[in-house]
Amino acid sequence: MSVDLSNVRNIGISAHIDSGKTTLTERILFYTDRIHAIHDVRGKDGVGAKMDSMELERERGITIQSAATFCNWKGKDINIIDTPGHVDFTIEVERALRVLDGAVLVLCSVGGVQSQSITVNRQMTRYKVPRIAFINKCDRTGANPERVTAQLREKLGLNAHMVQLPIGLENDLVGVVDLITMKALYFDGDNGEVVREAEIPAALQERAKEKREELLEAVSMFSDELMEVMLEEGEIAPALIQAAVRKGTLALEFTPVFVGSAYKNKGVQPMLDGVNAYLPCPTDVENVALDLNHEEKEFAVSNDPDDPLIMLAFKLEDGRYGQLTYVRTYQGKVGKGDTVFNSRTGKKVKIGRLCRMHSDEMEDIDFCGSGDIVALFGVDCASGDTFSSGDISCSMSSMHIPEPVISLAITPVDNKAQINMSKALNRFTKEDPTFKTFVDHETNETIISGMGELHLEVYVERMKREYNAEVQVGAPQVAYREAITARAEFNYTHKKQTGGSGQFGRVAGYMEPLEEGEYEFVDAIVGGSIPREFISSCDKGFQKSLVKGALCGSAVTGVRCVINDGAYHAVDSSDVAFQLAAIGAFKEGYMKAKPVIMEPIMKVSVEGPTEFQGSIMGSINQRRGIIIGTMEEGNYTVVEADVPLSEMFGYSTILRSLTQGKAEFTMEFSAFRQVPKTVNDELIKKYQSEKKNG
Amino acid sequence: MGKKDLVMNNPLRMLGLEKKVQESGAGMGLVMARAGLGKTAILVQIALDSMLWGDKVLHVSIGEGIDKTKAWYDDILALMTAEKKSESMQATITELMQKRMIMTFKESNFSQVKLEERLDDLVQQNIYKPVCLIIDGYDFQAGTHAALQEFKDFMVRRGLKMIWFSAVTHRDDERKSAAGIPAPCHEVDDLFDMVMFIAPKDNAIDLKILKCVSCAVNAGTSLTLDPSTMLIQKA
Repeated sequence: MSVDLSNVRNIGISAHIDSGKTTLTERILFYTDRIHAIHDVRGKDGVGAKMDSMELERERGITIQSAATFCNWKGKDINIIDTPGHVDFTIEVERALRVLDGAVLVLCSVGGVQSQSITVNRQMTRYKVPRIAFINKCDRTGANPERVTAQLREKLGLNAHMVQLPIGLENDLVGVVDLITMKALYFDGDNGEVVREAEIPAALQERAKEKREELLEAVSMFSDELMEVMLEEGEIAPALIQAAVRKGTLALEFTPVFVGSAYKNKGVQPMLDGVNAYLPCPTDVENVALDLNHEEKEFAVSNDPDDPLIMLAFKLEDGRYGQLTYVRTYQGKVGKGDTVFNSRTGKKVKIGRLCRMHSDEMEDIDFCGSGDIVALFGVDCASGDTFSSGDISCSMSSMHIPEPVISLAITPVDNKAQINMSKALNRFTKEDPTFKTFVDHETNETIISGMGELHLEVYVERMKREYNAEVQVGAPQVAYREAITARAEFNYTHKKQTGGSGQFGRVAGYMEPLEEGEYEFVDAIVGGSIPREFISSCDKGFQKSLVKGALCGSAVTGVRCVINDGAYHAVDSSDVAFQLAAIGAFKEGYMKAKPVIMEPIMKVSVEGPTEFQGSIMGSINQRRGIIIGTMEEGNYTVVEADVPLSEMFGYSTILRSLTQGKAEFTMEFSAFRQVPKTVNDELIKKYQSEKKNG
Repeated sequence: MGKKDLVMNNPLRMLGLEKKVQESGAGMGLVMARAGLGKTAILVQIALDSMLWGDKVLHVSIGEGIDKTKAWYDDILALMTAEKKSESMQATITELMQKRMIMTFKESNFSQVKLEERLDDLVQQNIYKPVCLIIDGYDFQAGTHAALQEFKDFMVRRGLKMIWFSAVTHRDDERKSAAGIPAPCHEVDDLFDMVMFIAPKDNAIDLKILKCVSCAVNAGTSLTLDPSTMLIQKA
């Protein structure tokens, strides 16, 4: 392990779906001698790419979980997180970006900047991640890296400039021109492993000079020295340009663009040189922790291995090696057998084993230091927990976790499947905070909820494949919510005298809308009208009432319940009696508090040729969507809209047929909003009839 | 706080221009200022006023993205409703937003012909029929009298009530029309029914009417805005 942090790079590889990032990672591992054979993403050769260790990932050709790996390139230790491209797995991308110092944004040279590239770029900006771009698939028909570079500037607002030019395109792609050293690079050998430097082909010389001028002009603003040499028209040393590119990249003000084709083994090694040269080491970026002893005051972590330990658990995985916790160390060091503290629980945790993960394989190590990304063995914690050495009490800032918006009912086919399903759900919910599960006590069905149809579909498949849990799946349901809109009083007495000991409890007070948060209980009892020991029973009763609202059976959120009076009986009052009294009180107040149904609204972005703009907008209008705007990008138009999730099922098929398959869309959760009256009435009617029919 | 408060806190109302805007029909308006003084904030408030009247607005943003333009509306509405949040206010805002559509173009890609084409797309398919257009970012240095006349004709053809433009003035360009309209609009000022000018004044921002054709409010009437919010300054 390198101790010198300037030799460490923690990077992510992010992109739109199918841009070839897993293929790129596969080549990186090959050229850095981590693997000794190259395999296809879709597993046509029966092996599959190294980073897509999940059977399902290999079959579908998409990355679902981010896998961590480690390699060394020209003396630099590189920790790589391969992240999923589909929007439903955004939490994986967000988590990866939180702990990374830099990233490679992979783009398809034909597709260019696509909708998910925009989302990923936004996330990178949110976490201030410096990035380099790699325009992949230059061997494909229609490849146009210069157009893609222009899109990086126009659509993503990046100051992006090519640091390479392709030599040939599509079938004729043979190598790249390095615009900094002004040399041509060819990739010889069976797998392009031998990089051969040569003179720039005569036909490309003029173009290369032009592009180099453009590049120099763009980066000269980051280096006075470079600008001076340019003004004096002197010889410009490559190191001087590289220093300027690095400065601009680290300041998030410049994005160097590399080109190539990972699949055809072209341009990967120079891109790795770019990772070493331009992406930050852990000490180049500032990470902030919250001091729990001083009202969560922010402070910058030191990166010093001699300082007290600060380590963030950013991903949990329950694989064949047992529970694995991926951690990033921000300062200090930790070794095998050391004891650390979990800042959230305050519990001591002993580190049994430390490993470097190489996709689904691992390598035992004795200790890890500041800047490292490693996995801990058998540590019980939640994703997002911070570990420290005990002499410091802090937490890394929390990660943004979106609420689930869609749910499915699943029913195991037999007893064995039931047991296996429980095991699977237990693991998935621990690993993925956007995936939730609960049992609907009325229908006895297990409900899973998540971020989209694909998200849930993948978990159902994983249950089947990894846990042998065969389940029947219901139609996807929107996760509606109920909320009250007015203050309402309640005063309810629960009284039962049917022989034996009776039950008695009276609960009075009011409920009102809560602006922020899901639920709040306020005890405003004076004079002991409800004895202390039964106050928590009232709270429990209210909380039970929140699980299922009376309108459409959805969870109730945003309620403050205040109790200010009540009565008890010396013999007949009990925990159960007060819970039931609170449930009755809630029921009594709820309908008076003018409850409404809320539905998840998705931010939808549809991109297609301008000629289909009208059809796209029409299709959104028909779905109760509010069109926010349209954006013209040459011959393409992007339509952005807020659309209720319930209207988006099956939209991809409709959109394909409307636009001859030329448009595509992405969506992400935006907010919960009150449903219109007609939908409200329909939902209530449906729920009532379901209740009636059992 | 409800719709009424939003209506009353609008600069057009406070300047007494609402009748002019709503009743005279087919006019062009202009908001001028130096760069960074809040032209978009004023245009957004003008758009909100139209929306509060029940009119549909198409906000054309040249050189800016949808997110940035939308953020202007979100920020201004958040500031206007900061003191009294309620369910009914949220419902009002949701209802208002259904009356707004943003259309963005790159500078190099914008023309009146292209805008008309896009608008026809919306109207003919019964998707959206605006009655007020906001055009933010139009290049008046390059725009000729004939080109702006085209907008006026187009407005009549499409049955629009108002088109509002924004224009950037420059400190070192002192040219003015006879009516006192500064460059770069000094040669096209005859096409505008209403011209407003934003300028810093002491610790506030002054929104002054430079021109208002057949209207009850005199040129020179002004309103003070809070520079931090660009909303009407509270007394």
